[in-house]
Amino acid sequence: MGQDAIQDATSEVACDVLVIGGGTAGPMAALKAKLRNPAARVILLEKANVKRSGAISMGMDGLNNAVIPGYATPEQYTKEITIANDGICDQAPVYKYAERCFEIIQELDRFGIRFQRDGNGDYDVKKVHHLGTYVLPMPNGDTVKKALYRQLRKAQVLISNRFMATRLLNAPDGAAAGAVAVNTRTAEFLVIRAKAVILCLGAAGRLGLPHSGYLWGTYENAANSGDGYAMAYHAGAGLANLECFQINPLIKDYNGPACAYVAGPFGAYTANSAGNRFIECDYWSGQMMQEFYNELQSGNGPVFLKLDHLHADTVSEIETILHKVERPSRGRFHENRGTDYRQRMVEMHISEVGFCSGHSASGVFVDEFARTTVPGLYSAGDMANVPHNYMLGAFTNGAVAGEHAIDRAGEIDLPEIDAEAVARERARVLAPTRREDGIPPNQIEYKTRRFVNDYLQPPKVTAKMEIGQRRFAEIREDLETRMVARDSHELMRALEASSILDCAEMAAHASLYRTESRWGLYHNRTDFPEKNDAEWFCHTILRKVDGRMVSEKRPVTPYIVPIEAEERGAYDRQRVRRQA
Amino acid sequence: MPFTDPFEDFGDVAEIARGLDDADPAVRRVAVLALAETADPEAVPPLARAAADSDPDVRRQAALSLAGFDGPDTAAALAAALTDPDRTVAAAAAESLTELKDVRAGAPLLPLAGHADAFVRAAALRALRGLRLPEALGPAVAALGDPEPAVRAQGVGVIAYLKREEALPSLIAATRDADAEVRRAAVGGLAFSRHNSAVEAIAGALRDPEWSVRETAAEALGRVGASESAEVLIAALDDATWQVRQKALRSLGRLKARRAVPTVVAALSEDMASLRKEAAAALGEIADPAARAGLEGVANDPDPDVRKTARWALARLAA
Amino acid sequence: MPLAHQPSTVPVTVDAEKCIADKGCTVCVDVCPLDVLRISDLTGKAHMKYDECWYCMPCETDCPTGAVTVQIPYLLR
Repeated sequence: MGQDAIQDATSEVACDVLVIGGGTAGPMAALKAKLRNPAARVILLEKANVKRSGAISMGMDGLNNAVIPGYATPEQYTKEITIANDGICDQAPVYKYAERCFEIIQELDRFGIRFQRDGNGDYDVKKVHHLGTYVLPMPNGDTVKKALYRQLRKAQVLISNRFMATRLLNAPDGAAAGAVAVNTRTAEFLVIRAKAVILCLGAAGRLGLPHSGYLWGTYENAANSGDGYAMAYHAGAGLANLECFQINPLIKDYNGPACAYVAGPFGAYTANSAGNRFIECDYWSGQMMQEFYNELQSGNGPVFLKLDHLHADTVSEIETILHKVERPSRGRFHENRGTDYRQRMVEMHISEVGFCSGHSASGVFVDEFARTTVPGLYSAGDMANVPHNYMLGAFTNGAVAGEHAIDRAGEIDLPEIDAEAVARERARVLAPTRREDGIPPNQIEYKTRRFVNDYLQPPKVTAKMEIGQRRFAEIREDLETRMVARDSHELMRALEASSILDCAEMAAHASLYRTESRWGLYHNRTDFPEKNDAEWFCHTILRKVDGRMVSEKRPVTPYIVPIEAEERGAYDRQRVRRQA
Repeated sequence: MPFTDPFEDFGDVAEIARGLDDADPAVRRVAVLALAETADPEAVPPLARAAADSDPDVRRQAALSLAGFDGPDTAAALAAALTDPDRTVAAAAAESLTELKDVRAGAPLLPLAGHADAFVRAAALRALRGLRLPEALGPAVAALGDPEPAVRAQGVGVIAYLKREEALPSLIAATRDADAEVRRAAVGGLAFSRHNSAVEAIAGALRDPEWSVRETAAEALGRVGASESAEVLIAALDDATWQVRQKALRSLGRLKARRAVPTVVAALSEDMASLRKEAAAALGEIADPAARAGLEGVANDPDPDVRKTARWALARLAA
Repeated sequence: MPLAHQPSTVPVTVDAEKCIADKGCTVCVDVCPLDVLRISDLTGKAHMKYDECWYCMPCETDCPTGAVTVQIPYLLR
């Protein structure tokens, strides 16, 4: 049998807790579940290989949002996140994260992940946000994944690499009962029955198309194709605020971020072509992105990362951090172009759009126990709606999910699954492999993503988004009737194209539903340009009901940390005021 | 058609270890990688054997792979690799040693603090630092008399991480070392103590000829939090190096030093925007109404970061 | 509708002299998040089979013999 050939086989396994996604949140969820009940069977399923997968596959240069006693309080942090998210925030999960994250830092430390320390060996926390102090550098951040992997091995979590989950299975009462997966190298089918399922599949990073047109040049790890969002949707879970897109400022043509956390504290900043600052705060927010977009469109554009005013030693220090850990190919990119931060400003641009709660707020709705709206189904990390939670949020909320899920598993019997649903899913998944010829997945994907750019990219226009919906419906017909996959690898791409199309339709639906503008550029609707708190100070929840996509309002849970009226608009004043 | 087992199988350690006997060094290297993959403590003895292989590439891979394990056996294997004739193997072992967390790993390392080779002494002390073993204090204090600056600097690190008052005299002596890096480490390492002699030694370092030592001293005084340091920090605002002035401003803010207000207000007219911002931030921390006029003066500063910090500081003054 | 092939210059290259995949090493193939590397049935060495690279570098960093080089994809260079 040749490499990647399609093989016909199906197998069934059962477990107490199934964790899907072995990036950041998933390994922690699986580990915590297993440690809490070592007798339990815990399966960690991963489309790539847990050793190097997910948003932090290569590592991370530090913690952005460390709430460390003596430096910041959970109240301060919760307040900051609520304000940064325009008030649309259920505070309980944010507060819970803030309370627990220090314990998780200490645990990561025991795993062998080193945090920067001062001369006495205490954490060397850096000040970035003006409300608190939240940045903790990780000098050997490139070993994060390896350290986690060792813990999983020690705890004897069952690891299934190169299996892509395609759909969740529901029990007769609607609760989560497992998942269907397919091997990405053999197309073998795997049915996993479980008492609880935790979704940790990361952002929907392959939604918009990068300006380069290169499908894989995304800000997010390109393996994060929104499979978790699609699976949660088809399982009936509610997805929150999907219209709050992720859009980030990046180096032009390169997918690395730049300023706010790494270079900012050293004195670097975002500037226009005249070398002047035009935003008050480089901290990533929709309002900041709106100003960034305005400047790009204006006669002052394009936008640059400015470091050429800094001392050469300072620039070298920044380069060491930027080029070593999170995006090590960045130095190579600049070398090819002959750009040197010391000599001139580096051109920046805005990223493609995506869904991500780690950086914005678009994710599967979860409560403070990481529970989705489907019983027995949990979610954590970039795909779960705990705003701006970043890597440490994925670890912490993953831990919360793992502990709660294993407790649930101890209380119930293995739920029944529907054999017909499994057979239907098998037919759906393998359909592209049954065709002799047709449209390859890369073309389906390219076209979907190009239309996302053409019709959904902010500023959002109602009539354009409606055209986009029609185009997506046409592509769906092609995908369902004509897409062809010639080997197992291409089948994985075909399934990803299906997730991407689901996400594109959700992005359009959610964006049309919220008839106001909010979160700066993330949801800027030109035909509803004002923020409308009277009608839209609420979450929007998108769900699949009787096979159809519906959106509804959900009130913001009353705050546990009060926000003063004058603090609420802090992010509305991002543009640099005119000089007096 | 038989189904591929869905779960990762990491193999049997004994079976993988047989690959270490292969005549081909590349096969032995692959065996080392597979042993590391198991994350099984049983893999330590064969990895230790591979660290003594005839082929330097196999030895280097073994030294790197041992980073995933812990305990006295791992430490002993890495300690042996520190004296490898191939420098790249020894360097890999030195790096892997810093990953040790198990305090029992200290035993094989302690004697190496007195090894004939300075590289070995420094690597052993560096590994001991994170373990924070009380038994390491003696060898670390002895290392302060080492002819090699790198060894003295690591000795300082061990003492500073232990944070023991009885070691203050040796740390204080090290603030007068001939080597600037040793002095810097000692000054930074004294900040755990509020003892007079420690605070005086740090303050004394504000007159060090090397700016990086002065910078560390200015920062450390803020961490110590002794209000009597305000005077010397005010004097440090005249330092020729901006990094020193910046840390001094930050520390004066942390100390909430009211008597520094006039000098810090004067720093609001520094040329560098980051220093004006630091001064504004410090005045916000101190929150003395006497700073109001000065802060209002930079409320229209050309740099938005300075303006923003000044607005924040003025709000703190009003509160 | 038959499919056509489109040529592209691949970002990941492997030095066959240094590569020890023929001795059983699978490190680069294992660590690729996009699963684009394979070991050739013909040569026994690793190569880039699918041009779908996120240029994230674990294949290069984790390679025990320094055989793998990741370039920025030409379209982004």
